[in-house]
Amino acid sequence: MFVIKYDLEINTVNKLAVVITTPPYSNLSVTALDYIETALKAGVELVGVFFYQDGVMHANASIQIASDEFQAISHWQRLHQAYKLPLHLCITAAEKRGISDENPLNIHSIFTISGLGELVELSSVADRMVQF
Amino acid sequence: MANTSLKTLAILNAKAPYASSAGKDALDIAMIFGSFEQAVSLFFQGDGVWQLIQGQDGSIISVKDYLKTFAAFEFYDIEDIYVCQASLEARNLPVKFHIEEVQVLNPQAFAQKLTSHQAILRF
Repeated sequence: MFVIKYDLEINTVNKLAVVITTPPYSNLSVTALDYIETALKAGVELVGVFFYQDGVMHANASIQIASDEFQAISHWQRLHQAYKLPLHLCITAAEKRGISDENPLNIHSIFTISGLGELVELSSVADRMVQF
Repeated sequence: MANTSLKTLAILNAKAPYASSAGKDALDIAMIFGSFEQAVSLFFQGDGVWQLIQGQDGSIISVKDYLKTFAAFEFYDIEDIYVCQASLEARNLPVKFHIEEVQVLNPQAFAQKLTSHQAILRF
């Protein structure tokens, strides 16, 4: 289902960081995952994905999206397993939305508990940062 | 290819201060970049220009008055603050802000300055 659309752009990028600020029920999730997978397939080093604002909802293990709609989480899991893609969760933004690491079952295990300091780290390593 | 890691971050604020937490979320990023001594510039455009207007007090409507924290920008070495002139004019707002060091730019100069940054986050 993923189509290569961005090869022209990512050929100039060595290290890419992605910031997700929209929730899994946003159609931007499809674009973000499409962009990330295309970059990974093109051999771009994806230094990490940072989840902020409503983007933290991607990590919420209690979210259930109707089975005939886009399942962002299954794609994050697939990319995380295939490419060891680092998925950083801003825990302050997550806790504000009822997603706490006090209950590990609350958060999908593919996510790493992080803070905004990690965003600074990602941006200092990456030569391009893209937000969805 | 040489590694050209990101050197400067631009944060583009395009939402009014109190209806959503976007402004506060952007501020938190600016402060953390500042405290890690990473260059960060702030841009205010569209309804985002309201975040700079004097005489507001979020506490009246029970919203944390995060705009007060803007006064600490100097302490965090955040000195590059730009506001879109056309956005101010469209809202009939005066060129009077609750912080100093704000530069008013026409849309062309604003866009030019914004795109001179290696990364842009928008809120």
